[in-house]
Amino acid sequence: MRKNNCGFKIGFSNSYILFICILLCTLFIARPALSETAKEIVAKANDLLRGKSSRSTAIMTVIKPDWSRKLTTKIWMLEPNYAMILITEPAKDRGTVTLKREKEMWNWIPAIQRIIKIPPSMMMQPWMGSDFNNDDLVRESSIVEDYTHTLIGEEKIDGYDCYKIRLIPKPDAGVVWAKVVMWVSKKGYLELKSEYYDEDGKLVKYMTGGKVKEMGGRTIPSYWEMIPVDKPGEKTVLEYESIEFNIDISPSFFSEQNMKRVR
Amino acid sequence: MYFLLSWRNLWRNKKRTIIAAASVFFAVLLAVVMRSGQKGSYSYMIDSSAKLFTGYMQVQGKGYWDNRSLDRSITLKPGQEKKIAETEHVTAATPRLEAFSLVAYKTGTRVAQIIGIDPSLEDNMTGLKKRLIKGSYLTAGSGSVMIAQGLADILKITTGDELIIYGQGYHGQIAAARLPVTGIVKLPFSEMNNNMVYLSLSEAQDVFSAGNRITSLAIMIDNISNLGAVEKKVREITGDKFTIMTWDEMLPDLVQSIKLDNATGIIMIIILYIVIAFGVFGTVMMMTSERRKEFGILISVGMKKSKLVLVTTMETIFISFLGVVAGMLGSIPVILYLYYNPIYMTGDAAGAFKTIGVEPIMKFSTNPEIFYSQSFVVLIIALATAVYPVLFINRIQPAKAIHG
Repeated sequence: MRKNNCGFKIGFSNSYILFICILLCTLFIARPALSETAKEIVAKANDLLRGKSSRSTAIMTVIKPDWSRKLTTKIWMLEPNYAMILITEPAKDRGTVTLKREKEMWNWIPAIQRIIKIPPSMMMQPWMGSDFNNDDLVRESSIVEDYTHTLIGEEKIDGYDCYKIRLIPKPDAGVVWAKVVMWVSKKGYLELKSEYYDEDGKLVKYMTGGKVKEMGGRTIPSYWEMIPVDKPGEKTVLEYESIEFNIDISPSFFSEQNMKRVR
Repeated sequence: MYFLLSWRNLWRNKKRTIIAAASVFFAVLLAVVMRSGQKGSYSYMIDSSAKLFTGYMQVQGKGYWDNRSLDRSITLKPGQEKKIAETEHVTAATPRLEAFSLVAYKTGTRVAQIIGIDPSLEDNMTGLKKRLIKGSYLTAGSGSVMIAQGLADILKITTGDELIIYGQGYHGQIAAARLPVTGIVKLPFSEMNNNMVYLSLSEAQDVFSAGNRITSLAIMIDNISNLGAVEKKVREITGDKFTIMTWDEMLPDLVQSIKLDNATGIIMIIILYIVIAFGVFGTVMMMTSERRKEFGILISVGMKKSKLVLVTTMETIFISFLGVVAGMLGSIPVILYLYYNPIYMTGDAAGAFKTIGVEPIMKFSTNPEIFYSQSFVVLIIALATAVYPVLFINRIQPAKAIHG
């Protein structure tokens, strides 16, 4: 009886300890998630969309009040320094290539058989007349490294619970925005909305992500809208047709010679 | 009775009357010719400037003039363009698609103004074909370019070479093309001569992905005085969707220089008026003193001074009218002659005209308003001199006058 009692006691303390252990463990596991820094969230969201490298096909639709046009593109990316965009449709622009390597950017225009260097001053210029500028597409600046990130709240976007993060560019970063506000879903780290502000604190344009689905083995938004605030009736839609992540691609792919050859 | 009396007085001494009337006649003639020459050269300047490029008016997209973007280009229905061309007083209407872009040949690159034109309509309006100095003139729909001579020299390009055009098309699309140069034109101003590249309209629309859009429809009219009427008609045809710019809005420099020249012209004509006034006054004064004895006798025999004043005033009025009417009638053949046989200029003045590529001639205006206004001013001056005989008669002392 006594033994039994004792045994019970031991048994009780054992399970008690186990309970504590489990509790502590769960706390330990959960804790990093709770205290996850804003920077880590942005890094995860960024990594989700880009991976180490990627190859994708996307359709860009430029919409103006009385006019619109579609561009079909193939995009290769090797993080963090390389990107190449090839236009395959329409016929008039077929073969036009934009290449970004390190901090430099070029366009290959087959109609005139010339490579044209895009100076850094033109990073803010629209790409092919869209509402995406050169920097948006090939990102000379890094959304992770060139900004200071602050978690400023939590909001629901399209039914997703999101972190609301403010990004202020670091003083020496070659960034064109004075402030970016980003919404990243807590589950899956989906970048669902971004707002871009100029030096006067005025909202210039915003981007929304949608049509979340599985592509290339990841669950990502496959549909993006860039909407300029001061131009009613205008927007640019970018929709992925397919995407593969972590493909085998080397920096030598992103060369001026290859711009003329790539299909 | 006094009317008859003064009329008879006039013809009592024909020579005197004719001298007085002649001084008014020449005054009118001089003023009319001078003013007509000025006004005539202004319209000639406006006409040649309009012909050079802009036309008397242009139909454009709203806001295009201040922000020359292809995004502000317009589409005119073929019917509208035809209707405008067929409007009364319209002599030519030519559609254009203008854009700035980079042009390059070998290692040379420059910004140039690319203009898509309808070759034959453009020639109708600006006479572009006769400015061709090398190669052949553009033909409609051809996939070649015609380049201004100054720009060709800068790029060291000539006919047969391929010019590269690279810029932004409609809504920011890439505009890139490699086209052979088939012609070189020499344009009058260096700003034009160092900048212009002509394409056929359809080729330009293709290069700039602009569909069937144009940036402007330039309109030439027969006479500047019909500008308002034509503008109204064009407005009716195009509706409110577009802006209609007139030459004075598009050529503010020309408006300024005309204003300046007109101001000096007005000073000149005021000096002329003063000279005329003294001339007429001198004649009147002489005529009055000459009749001193006559006036003295008339007053002595009982003619009231007031009646005498009335008679002499009427005489002046007759002489003035006689002179002015004769002046108007006399200046008509002179102006008509000068209108049909403009004065050819030489020397520096001619050089200035030649640089803009127009004949160095001084044209005269036949605007009837000039006849009326100048005659009216001279008439007023002549009538004002009538004050002198009035004062003279009032002061006259018959006894002294008769014996003096």
